[in-house]
Amino acid sequence: MPEKRISIHATRYDPEHDKEPHLQTYDIPFSDESMVVLDALNYIKSHVDGSLSYRWSCRMGICGSCGMMVNGTPKLTCNAFLRDYWPRAVVVQPLNNFPIIRDLVIDMDDFMHKLKSIKPWIIRKQEIPLGAGEHRQTSDQIDEFRQFSECINCMLCYAACPVYGLNNEFLGPAATALARRYNLDSRDEGLKQRLPVLAESEGVWECSFVGECSVVCPKGVDPAKAIQQTKLDTTMRFVLPYGNRE
Amino acid sequence: MSTSEAHATPREYPWRMPANWWTRSRHYFWYIVREFTAVPLALWLVWLLVEIKRAGDGPARYSPHGSAPFVIFSVVVLLFSLYHSFTFLSLAGSILHFKLLDRPVSASVIVMSQFAAWAVASGVIGFFLVWLGR
Amino acid sequence: MDFESYDVLVVGGGLAGLRAAIAAVEANPRVKVGLVSKVYPMRSHTVSAEGGAAAVMRPEDSYQTHAFDTIKGSDYLADQDVVEAFVREAPLEIIQMEHWGCPWSRDPDGKISVRPFGGMTTWRTCFAADKSGFHMLHTVFQTSLKYPQITRHDEAFVTKLLIEDSRCVGVVALDIRTGRFDAITAKTTILATGGLGRVYAFSTNGNICTGDGMALAYRAGVGLKDMEMVQFHPTGLPFTGILITEAVRGEGGYLLNNGGERFLKRYVPNKMELGPRDIISRAMITEFEEGRGFEGPHGKYMHLDVRHLGEAVIDRKLPFMRELGREFVGIDIVKDPIPVRPVQHYMMGGVDADISGVTPILGLYAAGECANVGLNGGNRLGSNSLSECLVFGAAAGRAAAHFASSAKPVTANPVDAMLWDEAHRVETEYLEKKGGNERIAVIREEMQKEMDDGAGVFRTREGLSKLVRNLGGLRERFEKVKIEDSSRTFNTEILAALELDFMLEVSSAIAFSALAREESRGAHARRDFPERDDAKFLKHTLAFHTKTLAPRLEYRDVTITNFKPQARTY
Repeated sequence: MPEKRISIHATRYDPEHDKEPHLQTYDIPFSDESMVVLDALNYIKSHVDGSLSYRWSCRMGICGSCGMMVNGTPKLTCNAFLRDYWPRAVVVQPLNNFPIIRDLVIDMDDFMHKLKSIKPWIIRKQEIPLGAGEHRQTSDQIDEFRQFSECINCMLCYAACPVYGLNNEFLGPAATALARRYNLDSRDEGLKQRLPVLAESEGVWECSFVGECSVVCPKGVDPAKAIQQTKLDTTMRFVLPYGNRE
Repeated sequence: MSTSEAHATPREYPWRMPANWWTRSRHYFWYIVREFTAVPLALWLVWLLVEIKRAGDGPARYSPHGSAPFVIFSVVVLLFSLYHSFTFLSLAGSILHFKLLDRPVSASVIVMSQFAAWAVASGVIGFFLVWLGR
Repeated sequence: MDFESYDVLVVGGGLAGLRAAIAAVEANPRVKVGLVSKVYPMRSHTVSAEGGAAAVMRPEDSYQTHAFDTIKGSDYLADQDVVEAFVREAPLEIIQMEHWGCPWSRDPDGKISVRPFGGMTTWRTCFAADKSGFHMLHTVFQTSLKYPQITRHDEAFVTKLLIEDSRCVGVVALDIRTGRFDAITAKTTILATGGLGRVYAFSTNGNICTGDGMALAYRAGVGLKDMEMVQFHPTGLPFTGILITEAVRGEGGYLLNNGGERFLKRYVPNKMELGPRDIISRAMITEFEEGRGFEGPHGKYMHLDVRHLGEAVIDRKLPFMRELGREFVGIDIVKDPIPVRPVQHYMMGGVDADISGVTPILGLYAAGECANVGLNGGNRLGSNSLSECLVFGAAAGRAAAHFASSAKPVTANPVDAMLWDEAHRVETEYLEKKGGNERIAVIREEMQKEMDDGAGVFRTREGLSKLVRNLGGLRERFEKVKIEDSSRTFNTEILAALELDFMLEVSSAIAFSALAREESRGAHARRDFPERDDAKFLKHTLAFHTKTLAPRLEYRDVTITNFKPQARTY
């Protein structure tokens, strides 16, 4: 029985030699039904072309390194099964909406900057001492923000968002979801400090609710919901500034 | 920190949004349709104002029902408007979150309540329009 | 020439590294802290830890019990003074994490919950659902962003430690994006580079776990301690090696052989599925060898059964496990048993460091999995590692900040020379290399297979001797490795080659240390020496780098305070 094979078209771009990115085709054995696109890339790098560059680490969908466009959809390549594409070819490209450093590697400086800008840490007027023990928090209180805390920073949502693609000043889905995670945490008192970044024109208001971010999120974070809820929140604070939750 | 040689930072390939981006997926396409519905709706409103002005010249001289293009256009715009309303109200479940007796109200309940409110409002307004029109 | 120098430089952006950086700043807000990591910190392998972090949190628990559980768990190879200090610091670190926003799972009264875990006589493992490492790493990374004193160098790969006059003055790092070599100098350097699981073919570890910090310290002359102590976790998914957390057993899961028997009653009757990892892994391998394992396309396996827990418990306590089962094995753990087999997971061995992370080289510290401070001895108990990273990361950060406040500044000239030498070495040996006839992956995959065969759960003199010979051959073949990528921009093939270089180093330290320890203790199980031999081997192995493949081995007594070594049964 002849072995199954599959075609992988991967973006290549070396700024030292290439003016533009271009696709390179590799034909590899499809030897196991549980193979994922990342396995295909690793096979290529290990046995066919060692110069193919891409990021990956945990291979179990938790580190967020291996996000790429697979046949036009942003996916974690460690979780995109070849069997879902075979016998068609698989086109692997770097995430949309980001500059390309090399091959399948994008520049994520902008994202790291935005992550920091929303002050993703617990802000309190008065820290309690360690000796006082933990803040009491119930399971229900954690449920308020749990979903938004599951973000693995894979940036598939930024790759899916046409608003970010058209205007990279936009704060974006993951950063807003993380801001909301802290704003909803019963231990945090930093909502006011995060508002300027959230409520500015390039903050949540740039979002026109395409909703694609939540569709592609591999962890069910639902950043679209976080953004719309933040819009409502910031509006209410503006309209009813007094007596509002701090 | 000292460096071995002066290496210029390599040239990144910048991102350019392709002009046909909105044709590349079903979701993007229907999103643009949804946003686009504002245009025919605006045109329809202008046309309506024209019709109102025409009607202001007196009942004898006004015949809106004869204006077939207006009716056809109105139906098209109604379909767009229904699509926009439907998608907008469907999203309400994800935006609004209430707690009733300490348990969160489910998204589907919120969405259904929005549609119910829409149906009621449409009914009330429709009733008044017919009643006033008599 | 412009010269920037840090007071404290942390190598590695995982839980221990980030904790050390924060601790240094909190100890002295005027320190300048640099953090170098070959990946963005949220990609560090801490992120995949699942089960939880152990600490004495409840009134019915005691430091004495946590210490004893740990020491017995270590098969008495742990340094007891270190353990006793650790158990006192761990609860404070759990509270500190909570203050920083870590979403620890809670009891109905709002206090941090605890769950049972392997080898622990009482419930003391704090957890954040079944993604504790993910939540802890993101908490500590996001918190680190609020300290302007911490400057990060993301995607910078350290190739060598800078040693001047027997003092560590920083590192040479390859900037991955540009291919530029930088000397990053500092009065103190803390290695927090994690484990080395990728030297094995079947490991829970991610691609980045290649023993970098251990190899760097090794080559600089620091001893690697207890390298033969490699932990195999009982429950990894076959083929991928993805970890199924011990918490599954903590919540009440059963391990069943192909006869549907809870076979652990014949090995650890008092603890059953909550026995220590080394004993359970050996039990499973023994059952496989005696024909009571399931046969699969990717090797033998056992069933880990949680069906009796019910969907509500699984969705509340083990949601990530359900997701992993669905995505990677195509099963629903609510209805199907999980196929599992022993998998390499953690490294007890590592850079010789003391309770404050101090290594024998002045100005060089180590913390976290890459270090061996004496906590885990021959076998680590589950959920001690996340606590270990916090306690010893913080200790090293404080110690380094304190030392830096009175240390001499680093001088430019010798550093420039060392930088040039190192850049030249890597460029000629790797980047500009022409010819070569072996692919990196071929050598790496052979090394991994040899390590699985020779230095696995059960070892023999023959197996280890063969391993040692083969590692020698692989090292020779590595000299002729082929590098196809000549670009300086984000060249990941060079990284793979540099990592393979480090992996070959630490593999030989493991193999030779294991060959020399002629007893079975903790995770090191010799078929030819099945008993523990306290008379000869109640000592730490120290492997020192030499010009040949074989390290020079020395032995150091274990520190015993309150717990005399006894027979280890559960």
